[in-house]
Amino acid sequence: MAARIIARCVRSLNHRSVYFNRVNTAATLTAAPLTHGRTFSHLTNGHKSPLAQISGSSFQVFQWRAYGDLPPLTLETIHDRVLYVLKLYDKINPEKLQATSHFMKDLGLDSLDQVEIIMAMEDEFGFEIPDAEAEKLMTPQEIAQYIADKKDVYE
Amino acid sequence: MAVSRLPPAALSFKQFLQRQKVLGIYRDLLRTIRKIPLESNRRYLRDWAREEFKRNKSETDQDVIRMMITQANNHLEDLRKSLSLAGC
Repeated sequence: MAARIIARCVRSLNHRSVYFNRVNTAATLTAAPLTHGRTFSHLTNGHKSPLAQISGSSFQVFQWRAYGDLPPLTLETIHDRVLYVLKLYDKINPEKLQATSHFMKDLGLDSLDQVEIIMAMEDEFGFEIPDAEAEKLMTPQEIAQYIADKKDVYE
Repeated sequence: MAVSRLPPAALSFKQFLQRQKVLGIYRDLLRTIRKIPLESNRRYLRDWAREEFKRNKSETDQDVIRMMITQANNHLEDLRKSLSLAGC
């Protein structure tokens, strides 16, 4: 009986996803890296025999799964984003900015500016940095390293 | 003869704690300002906060600093209450 229910669900899902594909191929194509196109039988591991018969009888249907998520972080993208945010900050001279330039010693900022910079990083990357750890981050390199540690980005 | 090994510019423990408190208040203020709906209001308040803190940056008298910390806390509480009354 479970097989019959599963079969009914598969048939309804197949019909719905076919309709979706006819109308929204443009949308799914733009989300290309995040969608998987697979025949439905591949997605089920345990119930191969009844479903294989059903999907074998109907035409080839691709199940698109579109997940909404941000692009994956890499060390380089984190580094670039950190430098980009710093260049937008009005108190920093963009020419003098390097990965290892110390905010207080090289760029002449003070602790209030450092708090603002860390706030800007929180806004950019979307997660909160606690006070104790925020006050230790004094170079763009350290910030990128901290974010990579927190977001589990290894390379 | 007790010779202090600390560099002359090092803060005393109390001064260090006060500095941490000031920075903490500045951070809390900025975080509360983030919740304000209109971008123009946000920018105005951020500039106001920056101005206030920068103006009194060179103050060294501990009691004056303590008074200013209390003032900042009052401002922060007012802001939080206004925000909760406004519903955001």
